[in-house]
Amino acid sequence: MSTPATDFNEREFVICQISRLVDDKYIYWVGGGGEPMNSVLLAKRMSAPNLQYLTEDGCVGPEARVPFDPLMTMISSPANYRALQWGTMNYAADLAQLGYVDYGILATLQVDRYGNVNSTVVGKYEGGEGRRFGGPGGADSIAALAWRTILVTDQQKRKFVDRVDFISSPGFLDGPGARERHGLPPGTGPWRVYTPWAMFGYGADCQLMIQAIAPFVTLEQVLEEMSFKPAIAPKLEILEVPTEEELMILRTQIDVAGQVTDRGRWIEFKDGKYSFAAP
Amino acid sequence: MRILEEGKADYLKVDPDGYRASVRDNKPHQMVSKLMTHKEAVERFVRDGDYLAYDCNYFQRGPSSLIREIVRQRKKNLWLCGKFTYVACAILVEAGCADRIDIGFIGFGPWISRAVREKKCTIYEYSNAVITLRLKAGAMGIPFMPARSFGGTDGFQHSGCKIVEDPFTGKPVLLVPALNPDVSIIHVHQADEFGNARVFGTGIAHAECALASKRVIVSAEEIVSTDEFRRDPARTSIAHFTVDAVVHAPFGAYPGTVQGYYASDPMGVIEAMGAMFRGDFTEYLKKHVYSVQSHDEYLQKVVGTEKLAEIRRRETIREGYAS
Repeated sequence: MSTPATDFNEREFVICQISRLVDDKYIYWVGGGGEPMNSVLLAKRMSAPNLQYLTEDGCVGPEARVPFDPLMTMISSPANYRALQWGTMNYAADLAQLGYVDYGILATLQVDRYGNVNSTVVGKYEGGEGRRFGGPGGADSIAALAWRTILVTDQQKRKFVDRVDFISSPGFLDGPGARERHGLPPGTGPWRVYTPWAMFGYGADCQLMIQAIAPFVTLEQVLEEMSFKPAIAPKLEILEVPTEEELMILRTQIDVAGQVTDRGRWIEFKDGKYSFAAP
Repeated sequence: MRILEEGKADYLKVDPDGYRASVRDNKPHQMVSKLMTHKEAVERFVRDGDYLAYDCNYFQRGPSSLIREIVRQRKKNLWLCGKFTYVACAILVEAGCADRIDIGFIGFGPWISRAVREKKCTIYEYSNAVITLRLKAGAMGIPFMPARSFGGTDGFQHSGCKIVEDPFTGKPVLLVPALNPDVSIIHVHQADEFGNARVFGTGIAHAECALASKRVIVSAEEIVSTDEFRRDPARTSIAHFTVDAVVHAPFGAYPGTVQGYYASDPMGVIEAMGAMFRGDFTEYLKKHVYSVQSHDEYLQKVVGTEKLAEIRRRETIREGYAS
């Protein structure tokens, strides 16, 4: 069953990447929907049956019933089914502030070279000239307090910018030591950024570094979809494609209606290599 | 304490002594029945210019029926506590009821950019958990609370928070100003006529809202006897003396869910979300608020008993939610 898949889309690819990082040795705080939630739900069915994750409503370690109620996840009975504990938002934030949250997993609108996250406004903040979004929600607490934060976003020039228009949730701010100067706990911060095309880590200078790329793109293609030039790891890895088993679980048990995955380009294995399928 | 950095935004005045006095003078210390209609509760306890907190939201065990009643009574100049919310802020701003929002997370769309651009609404920036922490400080009767998050963000610059040198460790630490809303509206699973209330399942900050707010309206799916509370006191989420009004509101969270009682109505949710993303609530408010006089009439005429039976049937998980 661990056969490499031959047909999948970008969204499925990135969910499988993040899912493989998830380990039941750790505690996760996960954004309430989208790729982050799909990744942990997949991991729980693959490698981490005792997975513990928190959501913002203070739900600890649920065995969620999927697929979810079509629209909403948190504060609903399917998402919170068979949890170990039910709390509230301050409890979730306290657990993270205490140091229990090893990893946070977040989807983001815009990210910059220091891993700062914008979910407030694209364009100018003052006077309502920019396009306004929802605000940090729970992401600020995750980004500030989890020991390591994993971000997921799209590989697009407008999403990878030199400096975000508004720091809604903190990355490394403007470099080493900045988080601590603003009162954030030491030893925390951004760890990985995943897109459907690449995986990024951070160098000692707290700036994004490309560490791996998908087998269906070139390094040049990834760089073209960024507004700044990041560092490149000395040995660039190639990310492994989803397996048939991962896709089967994702498609038949988790995102049955394609609410999260029905988006993005398709990839096929043809003539001995992975490449984008003709639309 | 040395202040290292300060947000530049207005915030609701911090006054723990004033709040104590208001608890002494205005809270119902005695067990008295507070059962009343939506109309009476909102008329008596929500005032123009109030700082209004609602717990949870229009889709997730929130006081949706009370929000519609506030719109129906055309309250003005409310300052909203916009934590963990989708359409409620949009509804209240678009209906002309609110002109300020503290934002943790709100459902966005053309309405918010337009409201800010046209100066119909002022925004103050926080995060969800920074707002619930502000409520926790308000619920403890203290003026502020330290937090290890929110520093270094641009939101901080547009908030009422400060970073100070912690007098104990000497390190920088963020302080959030306590929040004591004028009024909170909270939807619960069960309440008695005095205001003792139970929430089953996860929540956002219902206990903090009840303790921190000068006036509190609880709407409940079920009104149960006080003996129910005495039988299992550990499950009391909110004590009667924090509550000013109890409203019996079956399906009060519609179109949202109440865990263990009924599922959300996807079409009802989509209708509200659609209005928000289009940036036009005219039709929505006409149909869901102004066309009826009460919540009961709304359930009968607009939602319909078939729909109510369907959402109750769809909620198949009951473990942990029954008394």
